[in-house]
Amino acid sequence: MTEVAQRKALALGLERLNENMRNLAELSELAIRKAIDSLQHVSETEAREVFDVDNAMYELQFVIERNCVDLIALHAPVARDLRTITTSLKISTDFDRIGRYSKDIAEISLKVGKESPTLPEKLENLTRMADLTIHMVDTSIRAFVNRDAESVKDIGKFDDAVDDMHDELFLELVKLMENRILRVSQGAEYILVSRYLERIADHAVNVGNRVVYMMTGEQPRHAAPYFKKSGPDGMKDSTSG
Amino acid sequence: MKHGWNRDTRRHFMNYFMSGAALVCVIIALIPLGSILWTVIEKGGPVLNYGFITGAEVAPCNTNSQANCHIGGIGPAVEGTFVMLGMACLIAIPAGIAAGIFLAEYGRGRVSRTISFLMDVMSGVPSIVVGLFIFSALFYYDAANRLHIFSAYAGALALAVIMLPIVTRTSEEALRTVPNGIREAAWALGIPHHRAVRKIVLRSAGGSLITGALLAVARAGGETAPLLLVAGNSQFFIPCPPGQNLVSCLDNPVGALGPLIYSWGSSPYSNQIAGAWGAALFFVLIMLAISVTARLILYRRTQKMGM
Amino acid sequence: MEYQQSNGVHPAKIRAVDVSAYYGSKKAIDSVTLDIPEKTVTAIIGPSGCGKSTFIRCLNRMHEVIPRAKVTGAILLDGEDILVQDPVQLRRRVGMVFQRANPFPTMTIYDNVAAGLRLNGVRDRNILDQRVLRSLKQAALWDEVKDELNSPGMRLSGGQQQRLCIARALAVEPEVLLMDEPCSALDPIATAKIEDLIYDLKKSYTLVVVTHNMQQAARVAEFTAFMYLGRLVEYDRTQKIFENPAEKLTENYITGRFG
Repeated sequence: MTEVAQRKALALGLERLNENMRNLAELSELAIRKAIDSLQHVSETEAREVFDVDNAMYELQFVIERNCVDLIALHAPVARDLRTITTSLKISTDFDRIGRYSKDIAEISLKVGKESPTLPEKLENLTRMADLTIHMVDTSIRAFVNRDAESVKDIGKFDDAVDDMHDELFLELVKLMENRILRVSQGAEYILVSRYLERIADHAVNVGNRVVYMMTGEQPRHAAPYFKKSGPDGMKDSTSG
Repeated sequence: MKHGWNRDTRRHFMNYFMSGAALVCVIIALIPLGSILWTVIEKGGPVLNYGFITGAEVAPCNTNSQANCHIGGIGPAVEGTFVMLGMACLIAIPAGIAAGIFLAEYGRGRVSRTISFLMDVMSGVPSIVVGLFIFSALFYYDAANRLHIFSAYAGALALAVIMLPIVTRTSEEALRTVPNGIREAAWALGIPHHRAVRKIVLRSAGGSLITGALLAVARAGGETAPLLLVAGNSQFFIPCPPGQNLVSCLDNPVGALGPLIYSWGSSPYSNQIAGAWGAALFFVLIMLAISVTARLILYRRTQKMGM
Repeated sequence: MEYQQSNGVHPAKIRAVDVSAYYGSKKAIDSVTLDIPEKTVTAIIGPSGCGKSTFIRCLNRMHEVIPRAKVTGAILLDGEDILVQDPVQLRRRVGMVFQRANPFPTMTIYDNVAAGLRLNGVRDRNILDQRVLRSLKQAALWDEVKDELNSPGMRLSGGQQQRLCIARALAVEPEVLLMDEPCSALDPIATAKIEDLIYDLKKSYTLVVVTHNMQQAARVAEFTAFMYLGRLVEYDRTQKIFENPAEKLTENYITGRFG
């Protein structure tokens, strides 16, 4: 008869950590969704909610850091427990950044909204990019919560798409501004939004990769080196593999 | 390449040689015991039967020269031995165990060690000296101014004095063998020490205590010298007519196996010599039985405790 | 010495005040002052010979059974100095579990657990049955032995024997349970089971655990005291001790620089 011990204190600590991480993850998705909503419909209340969510996430991140350090110091975890804890430590930063960028987007929505209440129709690309980004965040969070490494194996491809969209949007916005269809003060802000979305997508990819590590123990390999030269002629060369 | 007498071969040879030599020594050591047992069985065997053990003694005679010469019995001696040993046990075993408990459980360092040491010394006192001591302590002049020396009491007391240090020391050792963890566990439960000793420590040491007592009995039972001095080697069963209380009956000379073998063995009469061998066989068997029992109990206890 | 008074959530069950202990003329513990909070686990760690076993034995006055042993200072249990009370009574309130499991060898499992009660006068079979059941359950041993209560205690495995000793100590319903390196002689799984047990016990009892394995202290204790050469070096919440100890000596010990 194999004897089984429960290691109750460690189990309890891990449960608390997981609950906090789930909360943090879900807050981050809430933040980005609300931020994009606020951008599309210029709602001050929504924007303020994003600020609140971001603050909450900031606090929660410290609690999670505390959880992780305590668990490591007191229980010397190994194997899957250790990977779960170190993963949580790392991706909590990613979620926090997602929150921060969402807050930045919300702030822009307030600034831009003062001038024109809705998003110019020409910028449906921005909407598409936002949707894709939100989808990536959602996927990576589901993967983390459900401990499912399979579902995020190809998240890198989405990231490539988002990067491409960012480049296109950049050119488009520049053209709109040059043709005076869009005011520079607005266009510049939208470029920032696009940039923030691209960064959020990167963080979502980080989360996905870390989930793979947590489940399999294999270190996330950076998507094979791809480089783009973006400049006035917008040349880009992406090789993936 | 070296063959033959290299270091390995020499080592093996030494091994076998030493084992062989040790075995030879053991056999040599066992020879006396073996031959004693053999002789006693051979000479005493034919004589030993129930009638012999319980029957009364008869007059000395020569079996080959006189017709109607019986060997008789050793009943009185057997009775005397058992009575005296029994009384000695009643005195020495409780006292010895109590002393052992005191030394092991309550003694403090130097006091305990001194008393233990004295006990060891006591067990080395020659038994004849013990007999002399009891003699000088217990002889008296009775109402008719007759000298009264021999009695079952005196014999029992002499045997008790011989048994006491052995029982004390073996009890003390037995108790010391009980691991101190048990006592600590009992104290930590708020059990007062005296109760811990009674209910837990004594029970743990149980078998060893019995063994120690039996060993003392075996030792004292074999003693002859003191009994010669104070028991009297009577030929008769303890005289106890109805109406006389037991206590005063015992204040008479009694027979005992050791003195009996001494007197019959040095007798010129062949029936007594034959009887002496029978008595010797009986004596040896009883004492061996006690010793073996004691060691069997010890063996089974150590088996059970898995030690 | 900094010690965060347990902010009233856990009042002090035992207070040691300037306690020193001697074996003859040799000083084993030097002026230790510390509070043991109620219904928590307090661990005492330190290298061999630092006095931690001696200290815990002072808490139920087992230290004194050694000839020429002496304790000075005051040890307050619920505010009253135990050094002037009857030690036998004290030990019914403050129980102890030892490094080597020491079940009574001639007794069955049932008798072992009931021993503390029976030998202190409890005869009622019902009460005994109840207490034995409860103690074995609290010691996480009931399921494993419920069908063999009448078999000898010595037949159990090492870890089970130790849990039997814990059940035996709990049967007399102490308020405090002292554990002197309870897992030293056990394998890792048996150790983990006892640590789980400690985790459950602290809801109802105050526990003090001496351990030479500091990771064990980290796993089970809310408060940890570090002793060295008879002195109390640091005493604080376990998290503080293991994440950011105040004393360099403590840090050196925990990081394995010595000991």
